[in-house]
Amino acid sequence: MKGMCPAIVSVGRTKFGEHYESAPESLVEESGLSALSSASIERRDLNACHFADYFLPITNKLGLEEGFLSELLELNVPMEITRSFGSALSNACNAVLAGKYELVLVGGMEKMTDRWDKIRDDLMLLEDPWSYYAGCTPEANHELMLRAYIKRYGVTGEHLDVLNTALAEFSVKNHRNAMKNKYAQFHKEISVDTVIKARARARRPLGLFDFAPISDGASALILTNSDLAESYTDKPVYIRGYSLATDYITFPSRNDLTGFVATRLAIKDVLKTSDIRLDDISILELYDSSTMMGMVSLEDLGFCEKGKAWMDIYKSSQENEDYFELDGRKVFVNMNGGLKADGNPLGATGGAEIFEVFQQLRREAGERQVKADGELRYGCVHELEGFGTKAYVYVLGRQLT
Amino acid sequence: MSSEPIERRVSYIGDRLRGSRCIICGKEYFKLRDYCGACGRESFGKMERIDFFYEEGTLEICTLVNKPTNKFTKLGPYIYGIISFHDDKVRFPARLTDRIIRDEEIILDDLEGRKIVPRFRRRHAVDPSGIVPTISLAFSFADEYYPYQEYRIVKPSKEYEKPGIVGYGVYSSKFRIKEGIIERSIPFLDEDAITAAVEAGKMALIHSGIDHRSVGKVYVGSESNPYAVKPIASKVAQVLKLGEEDRAEGVQCVDAIDTEFACKAATSMFKDAASLVYYPDSEESYAMVIGADNSQSAPRDEPGGELDLFVGYGGCAFIFGMDDVIAQFEGWVSITSDTPDFWRRDTQPYPSHGGRFTGEPAYFKHVTKTVKSLMDRLKLEPRDVDYFVAHQPNAAFPTRVAKSLGFKEEQFLPSLQVAKFGNTYSGCSPIGLAAVLDIAKPNDRILLASYGSGAGSDAYSFIATSQLIDKRPRQKFTINYQVENRFIDYVDYGTYRRIKQGMHTT
Repeated sequence: MKGMCPAIVSVGRTKFGEHYESAPESLVEESGLSALSSASIERRDLNACHFADYFLPITNKLGLEEGFLSELLELNVPMEITRSFGSALSNACNAVLAGKYELVLVGGMEKMTDRWDKIRDDLMLLEDPWSYYAGCTPEANHELMLRAYIKRYGVTGEHLDVLNTALAEFSVKNHRNAMKNKYAQFHKEISVDTVIKARARARRPLGLFDFAPISDGASALILTNSDLAESYTDKPVYIRGYSLATDYITFPSRNDLTGFVATRLAIKDVLKTSDIRLDDISILELYDSSTMMGMVSLEDLGFCEKGKAWMDIYKSSQENEDYFELDGRKVFVNMNGGLKADGNPLGATGGAEIFEVFQQLRREAGERQVKADGELRYGCVHELEGFGTKAYVYVLGRQLT
Repeated sequence: MSSEPIERRVSYIGDRLRGSRCIICGKEYFKLRDYCGACGRESFGKMERIDFFYEEGTLEICTLVNKPTNKFTKLGPYIYGIISFHDDKVRFPARLTDRIIRDEEIILDDLEGRKIVPRFRRRHAVDPSGIVPTISLAFSFADEYYPYQEYRIVKPSKEYEKPGIVGYGVYSSKFRIKEGIIERSIPFLDEDAITAAVEAGKMALIHSGIDHRSVGKVYVGSESNPYAVKPIASKVAQVLKLGEEDRAEGVQCVDAIDTEFACKAATSMFKDAASLVYYPDSEESYAMVIGADNSQSAPRDEPGGELDLFVGYGGCAFIFGMDDVIAQFEGWVSITSDTPDFWRRDTQPYPSHGGRFTGEPAYFKHVTKTVKSLMDRLKLEPRDVDYFVAHQPNAAFPTRVAKSLGFKEEQFLPSLQVAKFGNTYSGCSPIGLAAVLDIAKPNDRILLASYGSGAGSDAYSFIATSQLIDKRPRQKFTINYQVENRFIDYVDYGTYRRIKQGMHTT
């Protein structure tokens, strides 16, 4: 992108978790207000709202979410609903770049625990209907991808033990990071042993502690263009590159079962259309709705060689540093605790990832602030919809060039 | 609640695993499509329809599902995975059926890579007022109870003057309960009378080698149709693609009907099927008759629960025609009286019966009468008969009636299968006939006497032909194969009641 680029001037979010007492609107209000007030923006200055919820019409039987938003904000500006924070933000970026809007509220929310009784059926049916009809669960596809991965790369014996430990370490690290995140769903350290025992109890390749929970929560940000950004904040964070890609809904029909093609295409496009190199990215928020998804996404994004991410994760976990050493690069991964420990309220999740990178780049992450050797040039946000049916990659930076 | 249009579309594709193949590049797809992604516009109109109903596939990868989604809860835990066909050209999601996961260690490496056969089953649970959802995204291992068998259409070689049986098939589940010397077949959780009827029909097509498109009518006799109104036969016709398929409309050009007369619902239609194919102006080359039941009974400790000692599960199908006949009709007799010895009122889950009344004035009177009438008509003595097959609600009734009619053990014991499968109601005497056809020689005379409560009996005399021997190698899944199979899973009484109930929601 030459010249102007989209800029984030403020972010907001709620704590993720079980908000049984809150209506969906009150979570939206909380996250939206915190984003607006931290940049001293009046809601009447907004030109538009791009908002995301994955399946509120199904879980809560609330359709026409725009109307709820209009009533809540007492605004009649254009509003659009999409399914993920990544998609809402990309639509907002497109509009800002086109010069259509100058100030946009981007938000996302989910209220999954309202329908804990049937949430897994809804998730699975939306994610991949034919697999659902065959008896698939939201967890099973992750385990199948892990099986495909192990077979493709011939990971057996001791190597398989290392891989399984590496995935457990991934979860342990997420929980450790979340201890410093006041918004996280879980504030509880876990051990490798806990993760592995849960798998044995389930008699499955992955167990309870390999998967992100179901969550309620909301997140928001205010987007403008780089020319106007400094009139709202001294430290705007620029969206230096973004892209998205799409893949088949039916997981078994995809050509490659060992990773997510959509992620590979999205990052390829980001690197092609910007002057950013992977080596300049030091912060990474991964969409890890399972430890397996976190592992293969490191490969899909290009941080690790195909079939080798588990080795990097394992080695890094033995060093006990805050960062992962990925193919020789130091990368701080999931400093907010990732989806596993921060929570995964689908429509809001991408917003929480942006929230983290925004704070880190502005060096406002407090206890969680990464201790990078040099300059923190770029942070990367990765988000998936469904089981990799859509992928979004955003690269954020404090500098315009 | 069910959505009828969605149900129709999903089962139309899923029951037969319909797909498409590009005739330019050979790429295969699950589901029907009008163009190939690889070839683009030039492939438009050049996609041929394929399906994987009779194919053998491979289990690529799998995992254990021990916490299914709500609709699959009753089926859990189960193995779920991805299966492939045609050297991994096309893949499907699928659930391993016919396996009760107990406390055993699950070693996925031992399962992956094995050959599989897709199975037609109930898809998941629905509330009792909903449409029964079905699908073939279920599989079992080809080297276990249910073998992979090719369905090869064979051009007929000989036309007969009179109609007869041209093929048959039997299906019983791999699950059994054994009490004393009696073994009985039990449906797996996702099986019912519909799935048994389809399986039996599939076996009969494989055995007969006839072209499924040349079947003009299918009759399904059952007293355990999950629907009070909606035929099993329509599902059988669509899944087995009986009659010519009109693709534009998605219909099969075949007649299909369900019949009900307690345990003689199927045998009663043998003569109708034979007459239909014999009718001079008939365009119907073949007619298929299926008897299938998930025989119902109240639990043992409830009134009417005596039946719970005898009920079985299974289906049996016969195809009738004029070509390549394996057994010709010699004659038939039927009788009927209004005798309420066994009944089930509408909306009631279990049948009631007349206790000792079901014997003398019901079963014995009717069966004796039809057999004697038929033998008189054909001027037969017991020694002229090679095999005698009687309806077998238990082992005692058919034994007693056979002896009283003057038959010796070697004449009636080969047909006596109730101690292996239980009373499969509409499928019961047909399974006895199938057991005899599995072993009979050319020119053997076989006498069949069914009985249906309510009450009536049909007696038939068949004469085996030499083609009985010719066609025998086409069927692996014989009576004996299903009786003496090392993969049979014997369950305890508690498990039996649970899986017999299937996926019914309470």
